[in-house]
Amino acid sequence: MSIVLQKVPRTILVLIGLILFGLIRTPFEDNARKGLVDSGMLLPPPGLSAMDQLSQSALMGTLGGLRSLVATYLVLEAYEHFSNKDWEELRNTYNVVVALEPYDESHWVSATWHLGINATANMELDEKLPKFERDRRFKEYAFQGIEFAERGMEQLPESYAIPVQMAEIYREKLEDNCATARVYKNAMDLPGAPGYLRRFYGYFLANCPGSEQEAYDHLIGLYREGRHQHKATLIKEIKNLEKKLDIPWSLRISDPDPDVESMKRRNRPESLPGGLSLPQ
Amino acid sequence: MSEESSEKSLRAPAKAVPLFSFARVWTIASSTVTQLVRMKTFYFLLAFALIIVGIGNFNIPATPAKELSMIKKVAFGTMDLFAWLFAIISTALLIPRDQEDRTLYTILSKPVRRIEYLFGKLFGVLAVVATSLVAMFVICAIMIYSRETLYVSAEIQAMEANAQYTPEEMQAQVELIRQQGLRPELTVAVLASFLKASVVAAVTIFISTFASSSLFTIIISILVFLIGHAHSLLSNYWTTQTDNIFVIQAVKVIKVIIPNFQLFSFSEGIVQGAPIIAAVLWQMVGLTGGYLIVYVLLSLLVFVDKEF
Repeated sequence: MSIVLQKVPRTILVLIGLILFGLIRTPFEDNARKGLVDSGMLLPPPGLSAMDQLSQSALMGTLGGLRSLVATYLVLEAYEHFSNKDWEELRNTYNVVVALEPYDESHWVSATWHLGINATANMELDEKLPKFERDRRFKEYAFQGIEFAERGMEQLPESYAIPVQMAEIYREKLEDNCATARVYKNAMDLPGAPGYLRRFYGYFLANCPGSEQEAYDHLIGLYREGRHQHKATLIKEIKNLEKKLDIPWSLRISDPDPDVESMKRRNRPESLPGGLSLPQ
Repeated sequence: MSEESSEKSLRAPAKAVPLFSFARVWTIASSTVTQLVRMKTFYFLLAFALIIVGIGNFNIPATPAKELSMIKKVAFGTMDLFAWLFAIISTALLIPRDQEDRTLYTILSKPVRRIEYLFGKLFGVLAVVATSLVAMFVICAIMIYSRETLYVSAEIQAMEANAQYTPEEMQAQVELIRQQGLRPELTVAVLASFLKASVVAAVTIFISTFASSSLFTIIISILVFLIGHAHSLLSNYWTTQTDNIFVIQAVKVIKVIIPNFQLFSFSEGIVQGAPIIAAVLWQMVGLTGGYLIVYVLLSLLVFVDKEF
């Protein structure tokens, strides 16, 4: 051993040591890396497309192990783009943000919301652009929001917040009841999903042509779960469907029509002549 | 009579020096801690505290849960940055400083083995890094906890004023904020930063054994750190962007020679709420141990015959 140490230059020995250690540790590190990425403790490297969009300082930060810091800074920058209604820049910035922190649900939700709701609303109001251009961009931004949500759902299949945000675009902006119902259906069984999603699925399915029977079966199933589900909108939708589907009277629900009830309440005088008040 | 006894004592064989002594490593480590403390290295904690207070009072346009998450990410990111930067700079300064002060000659003229000196220096730096990380965590914890308490009470107040939320709904909202608040898992994020800083310190000590100056050590160490972080990223990039066999082979060689620092950035996932897998964590602790031993042995290879 001492002969080897005397004969072979130290630089060569050090290099051999580094290479040997590198070869030994590589499979071990690959295994640890898999475990870390699978558990979400380690963020996967950003995609090549995101790399192209990173500014020099952001790239240095990313390489320096400061991805969260860079992502947080970019979120604030995206907010600046939102304030300036610079939607293209906002989209580019969020593309980098989600590449840096793909497991952060809030980035996917925010990007979907900004593009699908805010950018489209801006296109509805922006008088500086010709009507045709506004309509075109309105659709473009709505679909960009949906595309973001789809990517987010692929990345975080357990998240219900992303499809809920996506459904809002279909519901409020594209007014596509069938697509809205489809998205709510996907979201309602996800872990932690709020109970109203099951009702919303039924409401929008009821307004999707050709799906009335399916919607009726779903909503009546909810109604039969108990009083906690007897919401005014649910009763109203069931009553509408009973009429549409011509459900026999014996099978119809006995609740009064909530619209008629509220109308009655609205028409009711608050006090009788002489200042006598009515019990509520 | 007295002459005889003095002759005897002169002839008595010298006491054998043990191959490795933890006591000597401990002595060098504690003197390194004192040395670093005297260099006023802990002053950077003041800068860190100012950054944290600044972040905590920054008006971020987001919900309380999101705001807490952002504060946490920036705080732990800064903590990680300070830890590895501190590990590089303090390690890079130590051996050249000992040479300049001629302390190194005094130490090595005693029955101290060079490996004990290297381990002592490394453990001293690690002790200071660990103390700094604990101090930084305490500062972060105070900030996060105070913001969390503030947000929770404000949300409860708002929900009570609205009077349309059930106790369960209020509890769920509070839980949402608490998930982003101060949680015990965050201590593992601190451990992750410590593991990364340890490997960085070991690599820096190796570089400083053949470096000509502290500045050279700092620059090369930072460069190695950045390349070590870009491993997977660059190999992905180049293997898809080029067919040049030399470039591909060069990337492979770099991957083998330079440590994979990106692997040690798992504090980010923990801060974001990822579950902690104990087996993987132990694997990382083992890997760090491997890095420390191998890099100190490689340092010894360079340092053992060095003439001062």
